[in-house]
Amino acid sequence: MTRWTKTAAVALVTVLVVAACSKSKTTTTSPTTKAPAGGTTTTGPKSTGTLTACMVTDTGGIDDRSFNASSYQGLTDAKAADPNVTPKYLQSTAQSDYVPNINSLIQQKCGIVVTVGFLMGDSTQAAAKANPTQNFAIVDYSYSPSLPNVKALVFNTAEAGFLGGYLAAGMSKTGSVATFGGIKLPTVTIYMDGYAEGVAYYNTKHSTKVQVLGWDEKTQNGTFTGDFTDQGKGKNVTQTFIQQGADIIFPVAGNVGLGAAAAVQQNGNSVHMLWVDTDGCVSAPQYCALFVSSVEKGIAVSVKQAVLDAANGTFTGGNYIGRLANDGVGLAPFHNFDSQVPAALKTEIEQAKTDIIAGNIKITSPSQPTS
Amino acid sequence: MTTTLAPSLPPAASPRTRRRRRVDKKTLGGLVIGVLGLVDIVGFGLEARSGDARLGLTLAGASVHLSPLKLPPGPTAIVAGVITLVLAALWLRAELGKLARRAVIVGSGMLFMLSFLCWASSGKTMSLVGLLQSSVDRSIPIVLGALAGCLCERAGVVNIAIEGQLLFGAFAGAMVASASHSLYLGLVAAALAGALLGLILALFAIRYAVNQIVVGVVLNVLATGLTGYLYDRVLVKYQNTLNSPAVFSRISIPLLSKIPIVGPVLFDSSIFLYLTYVILVAVQIGLFRTRWGLRVRAVGEHPVAAETVGIRVLGIRYANVMLGGLVAGIGGAYLTIGSVGPFGKNVSSGKGFIALAAVIFGRWTPIGAMFGALLFGFADAVQNILSVLGTSIPSDFLLMIPYVATIVVVAGMVGRVRPPKADGQPYVKS
Repeated sequence: MTRWTKTAAVALVTVLVVAACSKSKTTTTSPTTKAPAGGTTTTGPKSTGTLTACMVTDTGGIDDRSFNASSYQGLTDAKAADPNVTPKYLQSTAQSDYVPNINSLIQQKCGIVVTVGFLMGDSTQAAAKANPTQNFAIVDYSYSPSLPNVKALVFNTAEAGFLGGYLAAGMSKTGSVATFGGIKLPTVTIYMDGYAEGVAYYNTKHSTKVQVLGWDEKTQNGTFTGDFTDQGKGKNVTQTFIQQGADIIFPVAGNVGLGAAAAVQQNGNSVHMLWVDTDGCVSAPQYCALFVSSVEKGIAVSVKQAVLDAANGTFTGGNYIGRLANDGVGLAPFHNFDSQVPAALKTEIEQAKTDIIAGNIKITSPSQPTS
Repeated sequence: MTTTLAPSLPPAASPRTRRRRRVDKKTLGGLVIGVLGLVDIVGFGLEARSGDARLGLTLAGASVHLSPLKLPPGPTAIVAGVITLVLAALWLRAELGKLARRAVIVGSGMLFMLSFLCWASSGKTMSLVGLLQSSVDRSIPIVLGALAGCLCERAGVVNIAIEGQLLFGAFAGAMVASASHSLYLGLVAAALAGALLGLILALFAIRYAVNQIVVGVVLNVLATGLTGYLYDRVLVKYQNTLNSPAVFSRISIPLLSKIPIVGPVLFDSSIFLYLTYVILVAVQIGLFRTRWGLRVRAVGEHPVAAETVGIRVLGIRYANVMLGGLVAGIGGAYLTIGSVGPFGKNVSSGKGFIALAAVIFGRWTPIGAMFGALLFGFADAVQNILSVLGTSIPSDFLLMIPYVATIVVVAGMVGRVRPPKADGQPYVKS
């Protein structure tokens, strides 16, 4: 008996070690069909023809249904557009993985190294300065002054959030809409700023008094769940909003938004929501019926462009800001709500979009990327 | 000068100094209550904005509709403060029995909360029933986790792994319920998954006498890593078949759920709340009113003595640790199939650790632990509603409220607690 349990314990430990290693070891395979063309690729940015597009994920992992997944989508989209592109990625399980992962990819002669998330800003900058001929792109971080071999991709999601707020205010029947965040980060609150401004703009235009619960742009204070994991908390927060009379909820909290969807679903057909970052009907299809629309951030499109530029030899460094004007951010299709959103409201949203692009509407969010 | 030095000498605790100390503690308690009363008056009463605070007593769609309670925040807080000051004077002047002291503490705390909420929601409507409902919702997994803690620790095994058991239960519950299309199967699977982790804890802690804290911590890391890995590799890939379970629907208890305020909070919830009632009562009675409970407590207090009168110490410990895991697994299932449905990475988000604190708060009794969990749930719900109502307190501080409340209560108010004597000590037959 004792021997049996000892053996079992040893076996268990072995399984754990294997499981842990297969996750944390960063030599994750690339889902490619073609081996990296190591010999034929000339080092560095001037290469044309075959190109290995490499990516380092943040700790959320490749399947986070959020910015890591969107970034990798950009790589695979680039491959679809140009078969000479070979996507490949390394996962980071801790912040200490960033530097070794980046260095490992540089040694593998990647045509472009895409790093994801503003937490990787410093590691990417250091690597870019040490390897001036290596192309980089980083998502959600920008440098000032900009670096010649890094394409920094940031997004003015306040512009898209504005349209989301306008839509919410137009669709609300109770005269009360809500938003909440996961953690109070600039990349989160910028959405909430835009949302609040959109509602305020709707109010001045229609002389209504639609109220925003959960965010006060002036004081930059509002409702947060405190993390991006506790879906139960997202559900509770949303229930509180609904009890306080809100009928359009906009969670800016990644997976915690799924908790919000669970709460919205329980309330039958009287409460709806907006999804964030990606088109909710694609990333969380089980809740598609609840989404009036989604406030999208075009990570995939811009990453794809950076990769294709690198493949064509037209890569330039500097900061890219995704806006409504360049379709870097925007509202997703209405899907199920297409027939329920009044045509007048649709036109007004289009008008607001043109006005923002033309500069007739000024977005005032302090979290907007500059330069 | 020599007299002031006297207390620092440990054996010199003469009856006189001991009495003085007790008096000091009493004064301190009275002062704290007095300060609460003053804050009521000065902080919330005189600083109140105009406009009544409307406290909603019914939820939308309730059959019996009560109009919201309208309270002017200023006068309410001042009255509450005056009552609190009277209570403080009573506390200081009169010799109060144990029950009366508790009543004073609870009463002044509730008056403080009332004036605070009125202050925060002046000119607005705040759903009181919603607040209580969300307190209960937030407490359910913590109560179940704390019950698991009681079961283990009363038998002398420290269970740090509650967090991991919750997470395992949440994972297994969502996956099995989704694959089998049966919520009840999911519930059973969650309980078994928790018990499995309990078994591993028991094996290492009892058979191999490994330090129980260390095993618990390792099991938590194991649960986080394993569920996270399986989530990435399996659940994401087969999301439609393996990670889209339904959710237990609400069961309204006839008649009882119609009672205003209390009904929707306590008798109109999913099966998990009712399960929690049953398990809570069963564990409380089991531990303190049955032969089995006496044996468990004997094993936790003095295993050698228990062994000499013929109790199977190790057997009881194995059984209790696994039973605890079972209960925690059910608590974990609440996080997925009882609440939001699909599993997400680290959904437990530290509730197991709060459950540990609740066990200590409740002095290792199930009922006490339940109050600890409710306190946390209430504080969480309060910070939630405060942020929704738009107070001037920064959100970062609001998010701290539940944790600060836990620390203050566990460290400050519970005072000295005595765990089961053999808690955490492996028993090796000599």
